[in-house]
Amino acid sequence: MFRYILKRLLGIIPILLIVSIFIFMFVHMIPGDPARLVAGPDAGQKDVELVRQQLGLDKPITTQYFTYIGNLFQGDLGVSMKTKRPVYDEIAQRFMPTFWLTVWSMVWAIVFGLLIGVISATKRNKWQDYAGMFSAVSGISLPSFWLGLMLIQLFSVKLGWFPTGGSDSWKAYVLPSVTLGAGVAAVIARFARSSLMEILKEDYIRTGRAKGLKENAVVWRHALKNALIPVITMTGLQFGFLLGGSIVVETVFSWPGLGRLLIDSVSFRDYPLIQAEMLLFALEFILINLLVDILYGVMNPQIRYK
Amino acid sequence: MVIRKYLTAVLTGFMAVSLVLAGCSSQSGSSEESQKPKTVTKQKEQSLAKKDGNSLTIAIKDNLISMDPQDTNDTLSGSVQATMYEGLVGFDKDMKMVPVLAESYEASDDAKVFTFKLKQGIKFHDGTPFNAEAVKVNIDRVANPDNKLKRYSMFALVDKTEAVDEYTFRVTLKEPFGAMLNNFAHPAARIISPEALKKYGKEVSKQPVGTGPFKFVEWDPSDHLTVEENPDYWEKDLPKVDSIKFKPVPENGARVAMLQTGEADFIYPVPTEQVEAINGKDGIVVENRPSIVARYMTMNTTKKPFNDVKVRQAINYAINKEAFLKVVYRGFGSEMDSIIPAGLQFYSKQKTYQYDLEKAKKLLKEAGYEKGFTTTIWGANNSDAMKAMEFLQQQLGQVGIKVEVVPMEAGTLSDKIWSVQDAKDAGVELYYGGWSSSTGDADWGIRPLLAGNSIPPKSYNVGYYQNEKADQLINAALQTADPAKRQAAYADVQKIIWDDAPWAPLIVEDTIAGKKNYLEGVYLLPDGSLSAKEAEIKR
Repeated sequence: MFRYILKRLLGIIPILLIVSIFIFMFVHMIPGDPARLVAGPDAGQKDVELVRQQLGLDKPITTQYFTYIGNLFQGDLGVSMKTKRPVYDEIAQRFMPTFWLTVWSMVWAIVFGLLIGVISATKRNKWQDYAGMFSAVSGISLPSFWLGLMLIQLFSVKLGWFPTGGSDSWKAYVLPSVTLGAGVAAVIARFARSSLMEILKEDYIRTGRAKGLKENAVVWRHALKNALIPVITMTGLQFGFLLGGSIVVETVFSWPGLGRLLIDSVSFRDYPLIQAEMLLFALEFILINLLVDILYGVMNPQIRYK
Repeated sequence: MVIRKYLTAVLTGFMAVSLVLAGCSSQSGSSEESQKPKTVTKQKEQSLAKKDGNSLTIAIKDNLISMDPQDTNDTLSGSVQATMYEGLVGFDKDMKMVPVLAESYEASDDAKVFTFKLKQGIKFHDGTPFNAEAVKVNIDRVANPDNKLKRYSMFALVDKTEAVDEYTFRVTLKEPFGAMLNNFAHPAARIISPEALKKYGKEVSKQPVGTGPFKFVEWDPSDHLTVEENPDYWEKDLPKVDSIKFKPVPENGARVAMLQTGEADFIYPVPTEQVEAINGKDGIVVENRPSIVARYMTMNTTKKPFNDVKVRQAINYAINKEAFLKVVYRGFGSEMDSIIPAGLQFYSKQKTYQYDLEKAKKLLKEAGYEKGFTTTIWGANNSDAMKAMEFLQQQLGQVGIKVEVVPMEAGTLSDKIWSVQDAKDAGVELYYGGWSSSTGDADWGIRPLLAGNSIPPKSYNVGYYQNEKADQLINAALQTADPAKRQAAYADVQKIIWDDAPWAPLIVEDTIAGKKNYLEGVYLLPDGSLSAKEAEIKR
């Protein structure tokens, strides 16, 4: 197992290298001239040209690419075209808020999602099932934008329990993580339900019941472990997406995270920043996939890797 | 049985959701039909809202970019810089130029030499003295193209700067430029401490040191920027608050909610559709004032049929600007009656193109387009721009002009317009745009938009308009600093261009800000920048 993990970790470097080529290509193919966007709407052509030189965009594209890769190997992610701050600083500062928001959203999404999913599966076709699936559908369908603003109106403006935004205290975490977690909880609930329903039909479950095990033990101790495999995959993917920063929730709650950074950098065609963020997402997904694979092995010894 | 249970659950759920919605909603459901007066209706007196402490929080729309005035081109960063930096001259509430760090100033008759007498006894936040040498360092810095500062072109004409004596500063230009004084009033001309420039170099964009009423405390670019009072400020009794925290809050709804809960004391902009809902409640007062941001539609005068003045005038007659204002801006603004907003220096009122469909159709017929024609309109893809373009589409449809609305994302739009090197290759036909003449002078509202050599990629003349007479007058108005001569020249320019109708000038926006009723002395200037110098909390 250990050797397997090491092999996977070492494989990350070539993957990231190839990914960086694609990222560089695609980012430079997007229409839009960063020099003009950075110079601003007031700027005349002379100003734009000065900015272009300053940003190094007047050099041929291959030179730009090799400068970029060269710097990357030295650990230099470059400087943001818009703010002139080092890209590493821009991202590092916003990573932790996004990370914690993701963690808290996932925590309550997993708790509620699993709860609803299990109850729905065990009380199939009874009112608990319908209620559970209705909330799941709502969670997926309600736009997070709307949900967030409604929560702000109710809990911040009318009741004053939580702040409207920012990340200053633990209270500020509640509304955004509820908003962000709602969609994920819904997905987890549906996956858990269908997966568990399949497992509960299996022969070994019938054996367990025939042996006289209490239904709770059957469900929670035996069935759930196996039902969780697809749920873990889905959860891992969701975690990866959320780590990229939820643009909508971060905008609504003025959350100082990566989502807002991404949308700003794309609007400004801030190449170094976009490239670094894309690399970060790629790295996050690779690591999460690795984690998911390890968890499979833990949950189901039959899937262990050599 | 099963279906019934499911249906019951669904219906109950819907009822629950709608009840919650109805209870939560604080919108007063303003409708399109209700007549909106130009100023927000005066609310009956509210009692003063409670305020703890003597510090302010101001919620703004976007992130701040830089605290270096000479390297800044967004109004927001400029507004925050205004709390810490000052220039030799500045603008008052109505965009009139007033002396700030200068006591008096004069221009030579040939508009090439400008002399400023400076106020004495003023210190920068780091204790170093403000004097002519300090001004010289600053102007030399921005006028040096090697520094590659964003505002270089505002001072590109500078030939020589001198500290004539400790408190007299003189600048000589390479060629006459009558509007140069306005450039000194522009936010880009604010004075940074030379000591700070020496110490931080370009990093002064993160370590601002000026002469202003507030000093820099900290800046977390993802969250907020804080300034605190400058106890040694040269104006007596100012500032009256201890500190100000600027928070970028991009989401309109969240920004308004902050004002409602009191987390913010002042916010801007307030979206037009929320004004009536929040004004007069929770201690909130919404203020709107005319700005100098113009909204207009350009026509590519090099392309058929827009090369015919009759067609262009017909389009002007076909657009009901009053309705445009009501529908797109809910009445918060004013119709344009010249090619530049009324707030600009040397504005002169023109005869408006009254909404007259018959006249429009007649002109189109004379030009040979009785059946109309098809065309496209380009613009940004935010909801205001799209609403505006759809309105224009509908208006022009009334005279047989079929307009396809093409909204584009900012980078793509700018690419499509500015990557065009030759006017013949320009794809743009109609274009919906806006412009803020941040120097407050007619020159900056006319030359980049309508002068012959301002066509893309050089500058913003998206209509590719060429008029020799107008160009001559525009240049003549720069050859002198004599206000009377410039006034005459600009009056002619405005009349010529207005009659030639290369655009359909639409409206001038209002600035709309919301504040708590205990706050005085914080307001928006017509150029959209914020003044917080005289902030005071009433108890």
